[in-house]
Amino acid sequence: MRSRTLVPVSEQPLTLDSVLTDEAVLSTYRRMFAALARDSGAVVDDPALVDIAETLFAAFAEAGEEWLTHEQMRFACRAYPTDQFDNRLRVLKGLGAIREVFPKPNQLRYRASFTSVVGLMFIRRMMDDGGQSEMHRLLALEDLNVADPRTTMEEARQSALNLARAFRLWALELITLTTGTIEELREQAPKLWGTEEIARRAQSLHGTILTRWPELDRVCTDLRAAIYAYSDASRRAAGRLADSAGTTRNLTLLPTETWRTFAQTASKERLAAILDGFVFDAPAPWHDPAAIARAVDEAPRPAPAQPTPPRSTLPDPGPGSSLDDSPDAVLERLTRTAESLLGDAPRVALGDVLGSDWVAARRVLADLTTVDLRPELPYRLVWSDGLTIDPEREPAWLSHGYLERTS
Amino acid sequence: MNQRQSAVAHALVRAYGPARLGAGVAAAPGMARLTRPDSTGEALPVWPDGVTPSLLEEHQVAPVPVERSGETRRVLAAVLKCCWSDLSADPWPGDPAPVELVLDTYRELIGRTDDLMRNWARGALRRLHDSAWVVLDDGVVLLGPRCALWPVEAHAQLQELVRRLPEPERAELTVVGDADIVAAARGGSPRDGEPPANAPGDGRAEGVQEGGPDAGGPGGAEGLLGGGRVEWGAAEFDDLLGGYDERRRAELVAAFMVVEHAAEPVQEVRFAALRDPALRHTLGEMLARRGRTLIQHRDRWTSGYDDGVAAAVNALDAAGASDAAGPGGGRLGVSERAVLALVLVHSVAIPRAEGLLPEDSWMSPHPTPAEELRRHTQLPIGELETALRRLRHAGLLGQVKAGEEAGGYVPGPQFHRLTPAARRRLQEELILAAGPNTPLAAAVLARRSAR
Repeated sequence: MRSRTLVPVSEQPLTLDSVLTDEAVLSTYRRMFAALARDSGAVVDDPALVDIAETLFAAFAEAGEEWLTHEQMRFACRAYPTDQFDNRLRVLKGLGAIREVFPKPNQLRYRASFTSVVGLMFIRRMMDDGGQSEMHRLLALEDLNVADPRTTMEEARQSALNLARAFRLWALELITLTTGTIEELREQAPKLWGTEEIARRAQSLHGTILTRWPELDRVCTDLRAAIYAYSDASRRAAGRLADSAGTTRNLTLLPTETWRTFAQTASKERLAAILDGFVFDAPAPWHDPAAIARAVDEAPRPAPAQPTPPRSTLPDPGPGSSLDDSPDAVLERLTRTAESLLGDAPRVALGDVLGSDWVAARRVLADLTTVDLRPELPYRLVWSDGLTIDPEREPAWLSHGYLERTS
Repeated sequence: MNQRQSAVAHALVRAYGPARLGAGVAAAPGMARLTRPDSTGEALPVWPDGVTPSLLEEHQVAPVPVERSGETRRVLAAVLKCCWSDLSADPWPGDPAPVELVLDTYRELIGRTDDLMRNWARGALRRLHDSAWVVLDDGVVLLGPRCALWPVEAHAQLQELVRRLPEPERAELTVVGDADIVAAARGGSPRDGEPPANAPGDGRAEGVQEGGPDAGGPGGAEGLLGGGRVEWGAAEFDDLLGGYDERRRAELVAAFMVVEHAAEPVQEVRFAALRDPALRHTLGEMLARRGRTLIQHRDRWTSGYDDGVAAAVNALDAAGASDAAGPGGGRLGVSERAVLALVLVHSVAIPRAEGLLPEDSWMSPHPTPAEELRRHTQLPIGELETALRRLRHAGLLGQVKAGEEAGGYVPGPQFHRLTPAARRRLQEELILAAGPNTPLAAAVLARRSAR
């Protein structure tokens, strides 16, 4: 289904392309309803008008038994200008495609006609494949009809005549296209030309009629001639296109679905057969000596392993086993340190007990700081504000502190 | 051998890899004959005036990309280290070496020992085998025919490279010794027992280089494994190039090399031999001798198989007569052709039908998702993956990477090399296959029968 975006027509930039497409769509509408039109102006002159009708029908389908009010209809078609909407609604109401739910004055709710919806579906399908699938259905139905024992000879004759006429007109259109411009042919022909399937069905129908009513041989001869003319015109149109196309352009002429179905369902052998007889190059890269040397030089080197530090050759029980890491052991050791410094005194000056060996002293100081920070131990450090500087001494800077018992 | 046969012989080598020659059968002009001691041999083309495809680098033209090039070349270096045992002789033919030794050497070179490395190295060996750079045979590796094409001037560089590659540390307790593995492989070779014929060449050869000193091999058993010498054919293009001065001649050779080996068509303005119609004509004649023809894409040029020669190659193929594919023959299998056809449908036919591909070409910016190939086709996954790998390696498919999920495969650079007739035929074959009952197919068939 051709999808058309619902953009207000006035906002669309009017390019030559869009004008051409619109014109093509309109000409199909005109042709389809030429048989019913009162005069040549009776068919819409803007494809958007058909889109309005379709939008309306979709809204009706959704509304169900609630029907639609005028406001709801206007809302569903809010993408279109008011004057276009009013025009459309007037025409659709006038033709009975949209009617009041109950035919009485001041009726506010409307419903859509089933026939019009089906008609619109039919139109859209005709637009897409130029009536090929309709022809398929028609042929299938006629085939059933003529096989029905109740069918009379007159009905069969009528059906054969109709088909012959349809095929002739179809063939004529193709022939006209074939002699026209290649662009027009490319655009229109795939919608018109018949597959072998259609020709086969038509011939089988012709066979059935002729077997059952040999009297109809004149009508059948006509039908047969029409079918041949149509097949011939199809082939000729395709031939002209195939000749004119570039080396890949004809791929356009099969619809996307055909390609997809083929890719998904074809067997391995059928796919491979496409490339039978094509010669391709064997892989033959060139490995130049310089390139090989370069590749070796650029080889990703693993990160060099970290050298382990040298170990003493003497046996070393290590600190791991000698460390008593129970919480009590720490407290015990700290208490021992503090007691050994304090002796019996309740308070000692740090300057006196630490001595001049700073390396040893700072370790003791660290221990004492820990002692001070442990509230459960009965000692504390008290610092005074004074500072003694004596370059001769070690340490040269001495702040005065005392270790005291707290209890 | 007339010029036509010679052109077909060149096309066969380009399409299927080095040609195998029967005992005493001469190679086509323009090819080197790698003669085995029993006087059978392989033939592969040499380039005019002693150039190699590294000439492309000088002209800053990209050659056909090598898949995982660094790794592949390092593995080739490891093979060279193991097989080139006598550095005073030419590298080719060298001696056979067990695959395990090559893998150990490679491991030593890159300093990694994991399984992934091993798989990569095996993949690289397989690719080198497919492109005739090494010959893998029953656990044994040998330098392939293409190694004979390294120019003599470059041998010093290769020697230096081999000397500085580290020796692998190998456990002493290997169950079977290297020499035993090689000997076993030789014993199992189908040509076992043939006497070392050492038949003289056909006399046409100008310079005959003796192979390794032990050209007969220790076991005396011959075949693919071990022994051989290179017979360089007569210069092929001298009658065409002789009339030109040195500069023009160099321009012709450069243009010849770039159209034959560049990944993409090259710009006309960059090469005098493409710009100047007279030189271009001579270039066309050079290519014709190789079964090739110039192909123009607007202002760019490349080369492809001449239509007549391609038809002859096909006829030989159909008759089964071209059993000439040497090691690593490049013939596409059924699943490979099927996958390639699928990519053409998804990347070219469908975008074209949807009007997304304006260019009249078989190249496409629309990748076929790998998922599409995996899920929505009649091909078994295993076959699909193998086929994709080989097609990528041959430059028939390009891989497009885009994020985790997106990306996929597009027709590879080889599709630049289709002549207009081949491109048209490919289109027709696709239409005949996908829509056999359409009037379009009928028109195609009618056109063909009319011809």
